[in-house]
Amino acid sequence: MNDVSDFVLFLGRFHPLLVHFPIGFLFFALILEIGSKWKKNKNLSAVIPLALFCGAISALLASVLGYMLSQSGDYQEEMLNTHLWLGVATTSIAFLTWTIRTEKIKTPLNNSEKSNTTILILIILLVSITGHYGGNLTHGSNYLIKYAPFYKADKIVLAPIAKLEDAVVFDYLVQPILHNKCASCHNSSKKKGNLSLEDSIAIKKGGENGKVIEAGKALASELIYRTTLDPEHEDFMPPEGKTPLTEEEKQLLTYWIESLDSDFKIKINPSKSPKKILAIMASMLHFEGFEKEGETKLPTVAKIDEAILNNLTNNGFKIRELIFESHLYEIVLPGNTIKANNQNELDMMLAELIKMKENILWLSLSDNLVGDENLVPIAQFQNLQKLVLNNNPITDKGIAKIKKLSSLSSINLHHTSITKSSFNAFEEMEKLKKIYAWNTLVTTEDLENLKLDIEVILGSPSMISKTK
Amino acid sequence: MCTNHNKLSSNNPDLQAVEKQWDRREFFKKTSLGLGAMALGSLLNTTKARGNTSMTPNDLLNAFNTNKLGLPHHLPKAKRIVYLFQSGGPSQIDLFDYKPKLVDMYGKDLPDSVRAGQRLTGMSAGQTAFPIAASTLNFKQYGESRAWVSEAMPYLSEIVDDLCFIKSMHTDAINHDPAITFFQTGSQLPGRPSIGSWLSYGLGSDNENLPTFITLISKNGSGQPLYSRLWGNGFLPTEHQGVQFRAGKDPVLYLSDPENYDGHDRRNMLNYLGKLNDVAYDTYGDPEINARMTQYEMAFRMQTSVPEVTDTSDEPDHIFEMYGEDSRNPGTYAANCLMARKLLEKDVKFVQLYHQGWDQHGNCPGGVKHQSKNTDQATAALIKDLKQRGMLEDTLVVWGGEFGRTVYSQGQLTATNYGRDHHPKAFTVFMAGAGVKPGFTYGETDDFSYNITKDPVHTHDFQATLLHLFGIDHERLIFKHQGRRFRLTDVHGHAVKDILS
Repeated sequence: MNDVSDFVLFLGRFHPLLVHFPIGFLFFALILEIGSKWKKNKNLSAVIPLALFCGAISALLASVLGYMLSQSGDYQEEMLNTHLWLGVATTSIAFLTWTIRTEKIKTPLNNSEKSNTTILILIILLVSITGHYGGNLTHGSNYLIKYAPFYKADKIVLAPIAKLEDAVVFDYLVQPILHNKCASCHNSSKKKGNLSLEDSIAIKKGGENGKVIEAGKALASELIYRTTLDPEHEDFMPPEGKTPLTEEEKQLLTYWIESLDSDFKIKINPSKSPKKILAIMASMLHFEGFEKEGETKLPTVAKIDEAILNNLTNNGFKIRELIFESHLYEIVLPGNTIKANNQNELDMMLAELIKMKENILWLSLSDNLVGDENLVPIAQFQNLQKLVLNNNPITDKGIAKIKKLSSLSSINLHHTSITKSSFNAFEEMEKLKKIYAWNTLVTTEDLENLKLDIEVILGSPSMISKTK
Repeated sequence: MCTNHNKLSSNNPDLQAVEKQWDRREFFKKTSLGLGAMALGSLLNTTKARGNTSMTPNDLLNAFNTNKLGLPHHLPKAKRIVYLFQSGGPSQIDLFDYKPKLVDMYGKDLPDSVRAGQRLTGMSAGQTAFPIAASTLNFKQYGESRAWVSEAMPYLSEIVDDLCFIKSMHTDAINHDPAITFFQTGSQLPGRPSIGSWLSYGLGSDNENLPTFITLISKNGSGQPLYSRLWGNGFLPTEHQGVQFRAGKDPVLYLSDPENYDGHDRRNMLNYLGKLNDVAYDTYGDPEINARMTQYEMAFRMQTSVPEVTDTSDEPDHIFEMYGEDSRNPGTYAANCLMARKLLEKDVKFVQLYHQGWDQHGNCPGGVKHQSKNTDQATAALIKDLKQRGMLEDTLVVWGGEFGRTVYSQGQLTATNYGRDHHPKAFTVFMAGAGVKPGFTYGETDDFSYNITKDPVHTHDFQATLLHLFGIDHERLIFKHQGRRFRLTDVHGHAVKDILS
């Protein structure tokens, strides 16, 4: 439908502006009618024909412009036809009423006051219905009632997913983006550029410029080309005033077209997706823990009772929530809280910690006379990622007791009495990456037999020789 | 009906009597309007009026009470930070940003295409020529990361594999005070809270016996003055202000009791003072009264905590040797580095060191060497010391100034000497520790170290990154003051994710 001249479309765009005149005039005619009846005021009724005439003329103009606008082909045909014929009907009846009123045609109606009012009410009904259809054409058919108190949005309800692998990329990620950012102009009832992005069928069909996606060729796809243009460019989508796609959204769409061949059925495959894309997908689906490469996924844990936390605080522990409302905590027992005179309390205090064993991510017990036996309860802290135990009388025996800490990524043991025998325990800790072993009995030579992916920090060699 | 009638905000009987007088009328005035508005709100908008429906009002209230700022936003990498501020603008060209091609261009005028009409300071804008001055210092690559470091920093060059260089820093300001203020507060104009105050406000204290934010200024550097607003709290409550420790034997004065006073009734005195201040708070509601009370209590606790933490007598000799001989002389940069470590060990969240004198308008090679001599060993020692104690794991170390220096010579260029003017468009800072990539260099400059050619990092980006490492989204740590919502990064900045480990 590109053969319509631009000028016609230019004029057509005045349709939405002009339609308000007939609405206003015709409503005013009815108001005058009611007013004249009510107050028995002849002067008022004398104006009715003028109002009707203005209404009819402006309705005619609006109809012509409306027809011009419809030539753009951006609208759903069926609804457009209804709107068109209702508009024509309104215009005709308005003219007819005017002629009757001004007695240009003699009918039995001329003197019947009741039927006069009835016709005016009919016109108003017609103009309202026409207007409503017109509004639906421009804004979408649920525009009016979308936020109505009774309106139940017929949103596409996606089944909740338990893990990322369950999500169909199109349904869970691509479709929502298109819905949010594109579908207000590209839907089944308003097809700008004859393109609808409402569902997979419409997307495959494309628009007036042909296909909108080219499987495997993101840059050749209109969808990507248009959205990634310079925002100043004439072809940039979404057009000025609408919210553009975010960087993440663009990357995701590109990935879907380029690497997944715009497959509408394919599900997320975490092992094959690049980390960056996976992180975007995870965050869009509100999955946590995909932020960084190789990072331990954060566990989901239950809330801890306020009383338990208060009790720990009273016992001298410093408690800090690591992420707001994650219920994951860092626990610090400040150095020298435990001294020789209250050493027997330590076991009781650590036993208290067991109540929140799942919730402790970082734990520091440095410089508190923590011995091998005291470490027994800590072995249960399965989510523990950082453990700080420096300046404590800990030996290899103690380390052996906590070798089951499978989430531990770093352990600080400087100024303890561990030797290389502890390495057996360290090797069992799958995620362990760093061991701080300055001023222990571990020597540089010991490190040669160690698994390579654990970094052992011994501090300056000169210091070791001096402190020994 | 009016169950709140007996709940009074004041604890003082006299004030309570006053409250009761205006209570009822105010109550009806407020509730009649308030209930109406609430009813209308829920009618018009069934979900939004009550916020997230999965949370009961009680949950919401609890969440508000426990952590009203909703922090941290994500898992933090850093627990504490030591910011080694090199005041004056260290010359990146003579320290880290190695530009070998400059040797061939020695003495030639800086091409206009490079300067591109950039505004210069009044100190060199009047020069008829801008002769290119290649660094006379020798550069070498070090470590597995092959980072370039000049001969001025021999100790630092040993630990480059722990450092993360940002060679593409740029800032908006070209003069010292606005530039430092910009770095520390996110605004060139005075009045905004400094980074440390924001962190204190956002994350609170990890050790209530010591200030959360402590500033140390070396006595062995001198130059452009530093103003206390650089560690000021701006419009944040005053208790978040940085506390400056004096450079010298007594970092905090008057901690010891005066002669003939044993201090036994000080606790009582403070209790009575607290009551008086309570009355004042009830009357005026000024939050500064609370801040003052908090500070009195802090000072009381510091009487025991500060002498303990500033006492370095139990440090072994090899630690002093590591930080350099200066570290035995309280108030020097080296001694401050050692003190910083001790403060960090006590979980002080933000330790800010300032070392002045990096303003080499003249005699740049000599000046840079002199400054480095005073700071290099201790900086490297601090990082090493933190590392061997396992503290680099969650401590962020930042080294940097407020801007860089120009490639052209300010004043006379000779074979061995030159000066360099302020240069805001490209300079180098480095970080180490918590959450930043070790042995990594980010960003590039052109052959003149004048313009950034790759990955620019603006001051606001730097601040956003810093907050990010503490688990804070810089766009969501906000304080409303005089009707406007303020952030450290104002309306700018993005966290530089590429340097995060």
